[in-house]
Amino acid sequence: MFSEITRQQFRRFRSIRRAWVSFWILVVVYVVSLFSEHVANDRPLVMRYGGNTFFPTLKFYSAETFGGRYRTEADYLALEKTPEFLAQGGWMLFPVIKSDPLRSYLKEDGSPPLAPSARHWLGTDDSARDVAARLLYGFRTSMTFALVLAVLSAVMGIIVGGIQGYAGGWVDLAGQRLIEVWSALPFLYVVILIGSIYGQTFGVLLFVFLLFEWIGLSYYMRGEFYRLKHQTFTQAAQALGAGSFRILYRHILPNAMVPVITLFPFMLIGGISALTSLDFLGFGLPPPTPSWGEMLQQGLKYLYAPWLAFSSVIALFSTLLLASFVGEGARAAFDPRSSNAIR
Amino acid sequence: MPSADPTLSAAPLLQVKGLTIRFGELTAVDGISFQLAAGETLAVVGESGSGKSVSALALTRLLPPPPACRLGGEIRLGDRDILKLDEPMLHKIRGKEIAYIFQEPSSSLNPLFTIGSQIGEAIRLHRPDVKDPVAEIVRVLDLVGIRDPEKRHRDYPHQLSGGMQQRVMIAMALVCQPKILVADEPTTALDVTIQAQIIDLLRDLKKKLGMSVLMITHNFGIVHGFADRVIVMFRGKIVEEGPTEVVLRNPQHPYTKALISCIPRLGQRQERLVTIDYSTLAP
Ligand SMILES: Nc1ncnc2c1ncn2[C@@H]1O[C@H](COP(=O)(O)OP(=O)(O)O)[C@@H](O)[C@H]1O
Ligand SMILES: [Mg+2]
Repeated sequence: MFSEITRQQFRRFRSIRRAWVSFWILVVVYVVSLFSEHVANDRPLVMRYGGNTFFPTLKFYSAETFGGRYRTEADYLALEKTPEFLAQGGWMLFPVIKSDPLRSYLKEDGSPPLAPSARHWLGTDDSARDVAARLLYGFRTSMTFALVLAVLSAVMGIIVGGIQGYAGGWVDLAGQRLIEVWSALPFLYVVILIGSIYGQTFGVLLFVFLLFEWIGLSYYMRGEFYRLKHQTFTQAAQALGAGSFRILYRHILPNAMVPVITLFPFMLIGGISALTSLDFLGFGLPPPTPSWGEMLQQGLKYLYAPWLAFSSVIALFSTLLLASFVGEGARAAFDPRSSNAIR
Repeated sequence: MPSADPTLSAAPLLQVKGLTIRFGELTAVDGISFQLAAGETLAVVGESGSGKSVSALALTRLLPPPPACRLGGEIRLGDRDILKLDEPMLHKIRGKEIAYIFQEPSSSLNPLFTIGSQIGEAIRLHRPDVKDPVAEIVRVLDLVGIRDPEKRHRDYPHQLSGGMQQRVMIAMALVCQPKILVADEPTTALDVTIQAQIIDLLRDLKKKLGMSVLMITHNFGIVHGFADRVIVMFRGKIVEEGPTEVVLRNPQHPYTKALISCIPRLGQRQERLVTIDYSTLAP
């Protein structure tokens, strides 16, 4: 499957400890965040009631199920403390973070934002929502957004840059001029415009970002495809009677993957920070979506509640730092031109 | 020595008439004509830049499409004119009827695939009926003198020496059983001892497989004992043509004489390298 050279590059990446560790931290945290519902939730993971076992994070149960009056979802936090529940010998096992990111926990004393406590480790925001829970869900949103964006823009960048570099001539020239015009469009206006027409949903934002994000990589791919097209082995394949398609996917594309791999972490960083700043400005995902940009903004607004600024800044900073360690390592491992100075 | 009598076959396999190759204003090849009979070995000799490579590439139209490069004249392969064929037809001819070996074996192989997989690609392209490609790969690797082919076919190009890589390129060219093998300076990038081995190998294979060979070189030393006939090219034109023995013994054109005098001879110490005086050659 992978050639010796590729395997060697992976080995080299692994030997760059900082990048390798950062990579795994990001992977683990992201995988955990994919199961956010079972990590931060005010529904119990498992509960025992009236001789039956329930799994409320997996399944909806109405309040009626537990002797309540309504068909709406049971309020497990309240239920846990009722005398009937305790009399039944019931118990609940809650997730690590015992809060829902969208719910206000106003009943507790004081006025929000609430300072960190045993109940809310990182405090709450101005709507009394749990900061820790929102950080986790926010990470999932940002990372998913950035990953999907990076993959789609990589594909687009490869296709556009590849066509330009391979075809050359007027196709390349016309493409280059079009891209110049295109990239001169003011991104923020386009986001605000399209966002106000079609709504600021995940999909719409992804689409608008995608309109511009692929451009950077397309420059690299154009150069790579052009270079590889003139390599002797490409011409040898041509002399063997291989068609354009075969030459592209077998001889050019696999040899052109280095910039994609080394740029990918930086595209992730770009995606995360772009979404965060858009959220910060209020043009990103609409409230009450848990988002780091919105949390940063609250941190700025409530400087007297430093846990807001601290938690979001530290979360953003460490994510971007880890991703750039990965990027740095990937570049050292995969780019033949870079020296092995980084360790 | 000549391996086949070219006069035996009636119509030549390949016939080039008035081939002209232009890159914009530059005329790289100016109306050359030659022919190649079945089983014949033809050497094209000329210094660097005289238009040998582009002529060879033109045989299957491996040059940039117009307007970058314009071709004129006629290239007859059997009853077809190569210059009038469409791309799909050319794909069937490249590798299958006319195969190439290039100068730089180290960069002629894709670094990401095993040599076996690259020979396999040639088989897939032109011989889809082959039942057991691995056996065929092992067979051709053995044919070109690679020891332990059952193991070596899983090697990557960078694990082989230059001479071995060139053998792999020859195997790749031969696996499709082409009628014509074009070898464009196949030994120029190699050490002298390896050069001799590759030339010997090509001579053996030519005899064994009975194909026609177009050997391109700037070195008359390779031609002797290898080619039946020689063409000498100078600035895009053919300046001399004839049976190898005749041309070597009695060159007519001053350029040919100059090239021949460049051959280092055993036991003869050369004080200085012979340089070619172009002022006497200008057409
Ligand atoms: N793709 C190309 N574009 C423009 N000029 C070319 C191209 N390929 C070859 N030439 C020119 O054609 C002439 C002949 O080149 P070539 O056939 O490679 O010489 P050689 O006899 O050394 O093989 C040279 O002057 C070279 O500059
Ligand atoms: Mg040449």
